[in-house]
Amino acid sequence: MYKIFLCFRYLTRKGIVLFPVLAVWLCVMMLIIVNSIMTGFVNRVRDAGRSLMGDVVIQSDSMAGFPYYRQLQKRLALLPQVKASTPVISGYGLFNLPEFQVNTGVQVMGVEAGSESKVSSFGSSLFWQYKAPMQAVADLRGAGFPTTRTKLLAYAQKRLLAAAKIEATRQQHYANLKPIGNHAWFASIRQHWQVIAHEDYQQAVYKENRADRDLRMVQALPNKAFSSAAALRQAMVPKAPSFTPPPQAANRYLTGADEPKNGCVIGVDLGLYKRDRFGHYHRPPGVRFSPVIITMVPVTMKATLAQPQSRRFVIVDDSRTRVYAVDSKTVYIPFHVAQKMAFMQRQDLLAGGVRPGRCSEIQVLVRHDSSENNILAARKAIAHVVHQLELLHPQMEIAGIRVRTWDQVQAEYIRAVDNERNMITFLLGLMSLVVVIVIFLIFYMLVRDKTRDIGIIKAIGGSEEGVGVIFLLYGMLISSAGAILGLCTGVSFVRNDNWIHDHILWRIFGISIWNRKIYVFSKIPDQIDPHAVMWIVIFAILAGLVGALIPAILAARQDPVEALRYE
Amino acid sequence: MNSTLTTADSTARKPMLELSNINKTFRLGPADVRVLCGAGLTVFEGEFVALVGASGSGKSTLLHIAGALESADAGSVMFRGQDLSRLSRHSRHRLRNHAFGFVFQLYHLLPELSVLENVLLPAMVCSPWYKACIRARPGKRRALELLEQLGLKDRLRHRPSQLSGGERQRVAIARALINEPSLVLADEPTGNLDPKTGQTILDVLRGLHKGSGQSILLVTHDVHIAAQADRVVTLQDGKIVDSTL
Ligand SMILES: Nc1ncnc2c1ncn2[C@@H]1O[C@H](COP(=O)(O)OP(=O)(O)O)[C@@H](O)[C@H]1O
Ligand SMILES: [Mg+2]
Repeated sequence: MYKIFLCFRYLTRKGIVLFPVLAVWLCVMMLIIVNSIMTGFVNRVRDAGRSLMGDVVIQSDSMAGFPYYRQLQKRLALLPQVKASTPVISGYGLFNLPEFQVNTGVQVMGVEAGSESKVSSFGSSLFWQYKAPMQAVADLRGAGFPTTRTKLLAYAQKRLLAAAKIEATRQQHYANLKPIGNHAWFASIRQHWQVIAHEDYQQAVYKENRADRDLRMVQALPNKAFSSAAALRQAMVPKAPSFTPPPQAANRYLTGADEPKNGCVIGVDLGLYKRDRFGHYHRPPGVRFSPVIITMVPVTMKATLAQPQSRRFVIVDDSRTRVYAVDSKTVYIPFHVAQKMAFMQRQDLLAGGVRPGRCSEIQVLVRHDSSENNILAARKAIAHVVHQLELLHPQMEIAGIRVRTWDQVQAEYIRAVDNERNMITFLLGLMSLVVVIVIFLIFYMLVRDKTRDIGIIKAIGGSEEGVGVIFLLYGMLISSAGAILGLCTGVSFVRNDNWIHDHILWRIFGISIWNRKIYVFSKIPDQIDPHAVMWIVIFAILAGLVGALIPAILAARQDPVEALRYE
Repeated sequence: MNSTLTTADSTARKPMLELSNINKTFRLGPADVRVLCGAGLTVFEGEFVALVGASGSGKSTLLHIAGALESADAGSVMFRGQDLSRLSRHSRHRLRNHAFGFVFQLYHLLPELSVLENVLLPAMVCSPWYKACIRARPGKRRALELLEQLGLKDRLRHRPSQLSGGERQRVAIARALINEPSLVLADEPTGNLDPKTGQTILDVLRGLHKGSGQSILLVTHDVHIAAQADRVVTLQDGKIVDSTL
C-alpha cells in the first residue's frame, strides 16, 4: 500500500524523525532496565525468603513456643505431601566475641543442622562446609579429570604461586602510582586510579587467599584418584553440615573441662567480615574458631523473663542466606543447646509428671513438584494434622499455632516491595508520556511541512482516511522503531548490567551505583519479566499512535487546493 | 447552454466534461472575492482545450472545480454523464485517481521520492497492495515506458531536487499519465519554464494527445502556447467569454 511505502520513505529520508525515535528508544530502554532490576530484586527476596524457611512453617504466637513437636513431626512424616520437617528454636540474645571486642544483640536460632539442611538452604548457605569446597572444586577443574590427589596438589600449588605473583605485581603497581600534575582536577583522577589500583590489589589478594584455601582443602583430601568433578565434590563437601568444631580448635580455645564443645554459625553480615566493592567477603584469619559467648533470655510460660543463660561457643562457620535482615542479625547454634538455654527442654516437674520439650517453629519441606497450589494443599493437610494433635493436647492449643506457607509468612514484606516495583514502573511510564508530546510536536511540524505533499496525494486520488493513516502509521512506525531499539538495547543492557557497571561506570567514570558493601546481593539483581516488557513495548507503540493522532486528523482534513497553493 | 458550445464541429463529438453556470466565491472575512459567476465550459472526448485569462481571473479555480478538487457554490459539473457533486467521496477519489491527471505549474513532486517512485505513486494509491504495483510488471513497465518516452530513462533513481525545471515537469506529466486518465488537467505547466523548455513540454503534451487521444485542458496565459491547442477559451470576469477554433 502506498501508505506504508510513503511512511518508509519519510522515515528513511527525514532526519527530524530521529528525535522521537530516540525519545521512544530511551524511554523503553529505561523502563525495561528499571523494571527488570526491580523484578530481579523482588524475586531474589522471595526466593531467599523461601529458602530460609522451607515451604510451610508451623509457628507459635507465644515466645515460649509449643510442645509435642516430636509427635507432630512423626505425624507429619506420615503425610504423603511432606518430604521433611525440622524443629527450630528462636529467641533473642547477646553475642559477645571477646577477642574482637564485638558485642551485639542477635536473633539466636537453634537448628538441627542435619534436618535443617534438608528443609531450608541452611546447609548450602555455609561457607566453610559448603561454599568453599564447591569453589575449590570449580577452581581445581583446571587440573583435568580423572585426576589423582598428587596431581591436584601440584596444580593447586602452581595456582597459589601464580596468584601470589599477581598479588605482588598489583601491590607494586598500587605503590608506584605517581602523581600526574598538581592541579586539583588531576588529583581527583589520580585518587580514582588509586582506588582502582587498590581494588585490583585486593582482588589479587582475594584470589591468592582462595588459592591458598584450595590448597589446604586438597591437602585434607583422602589419598585417592577422582574420576570426575562430581566425585571430588563428594569427597569435599560433607553430606550433612555440623556444629562440631575440629578437636584441635576446640581444645585451643575452650577453657574449663566442663564447657560443652559446641560450635556456632554466624550470619555473614554480622559485622565481622569486610566486604569489597565486588561483593567478596574478606574473612580475617582468626574469626573462624574463635570463642564467643552467647546469652539468651528465656521466656517462661507465663511470659516473664527468667535468668539469662550464657554459654561458650566456637565459631565454626558463617552462613549467607542473601537476606540482609537475616545475615546481619542471626547466630545459629545446635537445637538441643538452644532448647536448654531458652528453657524449652523436657523437664521433670517437682510436683511429679513431665513438662514436655518445646520448640518455636517447625519448618516443613513439601514434596517437590511444588507448584503454588501444591504447597497450599499441603498446608491444609498439615493444618489438619496440627488441629488433630491440638485436640489431644490442650497445652498445644493454648500456644496459638499458625500454619502458613512461606509466601504467606513474608506476604506483607513482599507485597511492599512488589508495590514499590509497580509504582516505580508506573511513575516512570507516566514520565515517559513526554514522548507523546515530543511525537505530537514533531508531527505537528511535519504535517505543516508536508502540507503540499498532502495536497498532491489528495490530487492524485488519496482519500482523507488514506492521508490520516499515513501519519498514524508513520507515528507507529517511529515508535515501533524506537521500541524495538529500546527493547534490544534494554535487554542487552540488563544482560550485561553488572559488567557495564563495573567496567564502564566505575572503572572509567568512577561512578558506583550498586555498592556491594551495602547491598545484600553481590550482583545487580536483574530478571526480565517478559510480560512487563511486552506491555512496555505495546504502550510505547501506542504512544506513537496517540502522539500522531491530532496531527494526522489535521492532515486528513487539509483542503487539497489550499495545500497546493501553500508555498 | 453557453454560447461557446454551439459549434457544429463540437456537437458531432461526445462531450466529456461539462461545466455549466459555475459560481464560486471565496469568503475572506468581511470582503468576498467573487471569482466565478456563471462560467460554463465543455471539453469533448479527445480534445485539446486551452484556457486563457488574466492572472487572478480564476482559471486555476475553474480547473480545480473541473478536477473535483474543489466544489463550486452553484452550477453543475458533469463528467461523462455523471454529476460530480452527487458522487460519493470514494468515487471522487477514484475519479481523481483514474480519470484525471493533474499537472501543476510548480511541478508538485514529492521530494522524498525518486523519479520512478513519484511516477508510480498514483498507481500505488489505487492498488491495495504496494507490492502489486511496484513489483508487478504492468505498473512499472508503463512507468518506464513513459519516462523513456519523455527522455528521463536514465534519471529513474534521481530525486526531484536533482532535476531541472523542465525535467521535473516531464516527471509530473509522466505521473499524471501513469493511470491512463481520460482527461489531463494542466495548470500553467509552462509557467515556470523558459520559452524553449516550455515549448518542449507543450510538444510532449501534444504528442501524447495525438498518440493516445487523451483530452487535455490546459490553463495558460501565454498566447503562443494557447494557439497550439485545438480550441482556446477565455475566462474573463468570472465567465467564459470567448472560444476560438
Ligand atoms: N482559497 C482562497 N481564498 C481566497 N481567495 C482565493 C482563494 N483561492 C483563490 N482566491 C482568489 O481567487 C482569485 C482567482 O484565483 P486563481 O484561480 O488562482 O486565478 P488564476 O489561476 O487565474 O491566476 C484570485 O484573486 C485569488 O486571490
Ligand atoms: Mg493560477
